[in-house]
Amino acid sequence: MKIKVSNKLDDLNRLVNEIKESSSEIGAVIIFIGVVRGVGRDGGKVLSLEYEAYEDVAEKALEKIIEDLKEKHGIIDAIIEHRVGLTNVGEDTVYALVASKHREEGFKSIIELIERLKHEVPIWKKEITDKGSQWIENP
Amino acid sequence: MVINWLLESWCSFMARVKVKYFGRLREMLGVKEEEYDVEDATLADLLMNYIPKRHSDAAEEWRQSIFVTIRGEVSVSRDGAPLLRNYFVLIGGRSVEVTYKLKDGDEVAILPPVGGG
Repeated sequence: MKIKVSNKLDDLNRLVNEIKESSSEIGAVIIFIGVVRGVGRDGGKVLSLEYEAYEDVAEKALEKIIEDLKEKHGIIDAIIEHRVGLTNVGEDTVYALVASKHREEGFKSIIELIERLKHEVPIWKKEITDKGSQWIENP
Repeated sequence: MVINWLLESWCSFMARVKVKYFGRLREMLGVKEEEYDVEDATLADLLMNYIPKRHSDAAEEWRQSIFVTIRGEVSVSRDGAPLLRNYFVLIGGRSVEVTYKLKDGDEVAILPPVGGG
């Protein structure tokens, strides 16, 4: 398991290799990449996104989510990295990797992981567009 | 002897707590974290009185943001505790009720609705 909330994401290929090496039982690695979208909630052109986190607590919350997914779906391992600070359109903001024996539990887990990340983990996002700026609450 | 007793009693009512703000609250108050010396206070006292008193310019916006209000008045539960909107408060990383009695050294984190991902 690897969790990182930081102003720099690691190289994705390296993360894939890292998770694959964690067990010889792995038969599937499902990857989610969060990207800064160019169109904002207000319909304006996004200039940047600013992420802020309660880092210690965010990392503990992500650890708990992975532990829950291991217990619920039997995944083998997971990695989550989330950006903080200023990000620009097209940049990667989240890497989530789930390794499992088979694809089914991997797909279920990656969806649940991202949903829970968006609703339970203390990370905030301010969207700055050509129309103004606003803190975004996940629906 | 009496002086010591008085001092100990006084100290047991006093607490220095650190308060952390995030996202829109940090912007609203213009500060990331700060300390408060509170006297025999609950979390509700901190949120309702101490913080808006220090940040009087933003007091109304603060009240409207973090509490459930009806016609400008903060709504309370049956036991009289103010009702928070969709904000969470963690103390030492754990979720607490507004009736929590503040202790010396507590780290209070006030969390707006999250928006990660």
